[in-house]
Amino acid sequence: MTKVNIQTFYLSDPTNCDFSATCFGKLKMIVLQEYQRTSNFTVLDTFTQDLRRSGQLLFQTLDELQLLSAGGQILSQPTTGGQQFVDQIASGPVKDSLSGISSLRRLLPVGSGTLQEKVLALMDEELKTHARAHLLLLEPKQGNAAGIVVTKGLRGYGKSLKLLRKVILECGGAEVDSPKLYPHLFPEYRKYTTKPQVGIGYGEPAFASATKIISNFLSVARANEKGILADHDTEFLHDYRVALRKVRSVLSLFKGVYDQEQTLDLKNRFSVQMAATGRLRDLDVYLLDKQKFYGLLPQNLSPGLDAMFGQFAAEREAALESLTKKLRSKAYRKEMKALEQIFAIPKSLAPGAKANLGAHDFAMELIWKRYNKVRKTADRIGAHTPDEDVHELRIMCKKLRYLMEFFAPVFPKQDFKAAVEPLKDLQDNLGKFNDYSVQQENLNAFLTSLRARRETETLHIAQSVGALIAVLYTSQKEERRKVTQKLQGFNSMRTKETFRCLFYYRNHKK
Amino acid sequence: MIVLACYSNKGGVGKTAASVNLAYALSLAGFRTLLCDLDPQGASSFYFRVKPSKKLTEARFFRDVAKFTAAIRGSDFDNLDILPANMSFRDFDVFLSQMKNSRSRLKRSLKAVKNDYDAILLDCPPNISMLSENVFQTADGILVPVIPTTLSQRSFEQLYSFFKSRNLPVKKLHGFFSMVQSIKNLHGETIAEMRERYGRSLLKSQIPFASDIERMGVHRAPVIHTVPNSPASAAYLNLCEEVMSRITTV
Repeated sequence: MTKVNIQTFYLSDPTNCDFSATCFGKLKMIVLQEYQRTSNFTVLDTFTQDLRRSGQLLFQTLDELQLLSAGGQILSQPTTGGQQFVDQIASGPVKDSLSGISSLRRLLPVGSGTLQEKVLALMDEELKTHARAHLLLLEPKQGNAAGIVVTKGLRGYGKSLKLLRKVILECGGAEVDSPKLYPHLFPEYRKYTTKPQVGIGYGEPAFASATKIISNFLSVARANEKGILADHDTEFLHDYRVALRKVRSVLSLFKGVYDQEQTLDLKNRFSVQMAATGRLRDLDVYLLDKQKFYGLLPQNLSPGLDAMFGQFAAEREAALESLTKKLRSKAYRKEMKALEQIFAIPKSLAPGAKANLGAHDFAMELIWKRYNKVRKTADRIGAHTPDEDVHELRIMCKKLRYLMEFFAPVFPKQDFKAAVEPLKDLQDNLGKFNDYSVQQENLNAFLTSLRARRETETLHIAQSVGALIAVLYTSQKEERRKVTQKLQGFNSMRTKETFRCLFYYRNHKK
Repeated sequence: MIVLACYSNKGGVGKTAASVNLAYALSLAGFRTLLCDLDPQGASSFYFRVKPSKKLTEARFFRDVAKFTAAIRGSDFDNLDILPANMSFRDFDVFLSQMKNSRSRLKRSLKAVKNDYDAILLDCPPNISMLSENVFQTADGILVPVIPTTLSQRSFEQLYSFFKSRNLPVKKLHGFFSMVQSIKNLHGETIAEMRERYGRSLLKSQIPFASDIERMGVHRAPVIHTVPNSPASAAYLNLCEEVMSRITTV
């Protein structure tokens, strides 16, 4: 049995999808199965468009989930509906194909319409099937209809399959390209990414580059507001915070691009917006890690965790309500609009001393300086260095990484990747070290502020939190032990040489 | 890969009906299956509506791997392919007798597709010939349909003796009663007598005489597909299960 020969086509004009009258020489196209009912369909994707980006199209009908896979296959499995996240989908071929889609993101409707389905077979005079075609006709409520034809060959009937595909192409069919199907079906569909590729020219002035980067990330932050308000999933807030953090980083790291006083003012204005989101994000992280925490402690300490997470959930509700109120307020909307306008109309920004420096030279100067700072701190760190220094190194690495990512477009891709990899590796380790540390601090603070309704509950919570802090402390120690090892990669001659070649600023050479 | 053969030196005992339904049952069980129609009459190819292969002559069957694999046709069912017969297959014997290692040529030909299939089922013509000896050597199990009548019983005895006389492993032989009519005393008596004599060489499963099986020629599809809830379908499914459990546990 050779590999099944499947090829999928899409026809933008679905009136061409009826092949029953088409001439196939001695062969005939017979409808094997025609689903009488026209069912409603809803295309689903995450907000970050993970399905579109992975070349897949997922849609739900009344009782089925169907997936046009990246390989052009139509997979389906029964469903009773109601699944909001990938991990809530029952086991089946569709779920298996969605393994790469984050379970943190809710599946949201992209658009809906009606669906008709037919199974056709190309047969000879003995009624032997030579090739099959599975036809899906999607008609969105607001958008353009499209026909999807999945052709499948049978071993030994290659010529017939070739003929079928030739006819489909002559009818205006094109090989299916799922990502292109989205804007065809739903013209109002807009591409979205949390990491916009900001095109920066080699010699583009630093002022224009910084403004472009900020403007892009500000748009990302604003795009996530609706999701936070609807509380679709935790990642809307996370992405909102990351985008604003990047804006602030540009303001603080791109020294001399904007007027100093204005920079300070803008930094403060963005910090105010960020501050209101911190507690909700902390609680989200706890609640997302809930199962992990249960796994860290013996079962007899579960009642304490139940009570603790009960309190966290209640507190989260209050934090969300407060943030929602803020995001809906006139003051917030006015402030965000004003900030957007500042970066949309660069005239309202006062340039600094380095505003006209070319992006590449400016990046070299900034990154090389920042890298040397990181390296000096990294050189100091050994097995017995105080934890504070490790925390300092983490923050410095983060700043260096941001800078590198902002300016990535002006450096050669391969060399740039070679410089980022050891930094990423070190950051993973430092990030975990910091997480364990912050979690302990927060749990200690939680213990102090404990206001349980009953004494026994307080006791249970205290026992569990105490045990949790002990486990986290051990994990933190373990990560701390790895820091020295990871630093070897970052401090290696090879990494140093890569950074030197890429970012050694010519003024230093002089 | 498992190779099964449906064989009897007597004609009209239900070989092709068994081959077609067993191949289909194997495909339903998830085995990637190839049904090789070795009978020049091409009856099993006919049941699957596959036309005889024009290009696969007897010489190419045994010598040309590319032609052999190119002659395979997908059936209308998942997991099931057919190698159709043609009239040139009637000269297999003459051809094989002129070849070196004439008793293992079939095995060599099937090697070409060993990675494509989990199970190959050979539907054999009714004779004891050089081709049959190839089948005996190649197959992991030889299914022998036996109508519980005197002549059919005699054919099984002849085959059993042939195996003994040629030192072929009789444990490869898996006889089963075919076209059984329980109302006939002769059928009951023959079954009892043969079961006593041949013991494990006979399978427990029996195929009843059924008009649904006869009508396969009209529907041109396995009875398990056309009348899935019939006693005949159940009998073939049982037969498949019993054979596979015997072969795979050996």
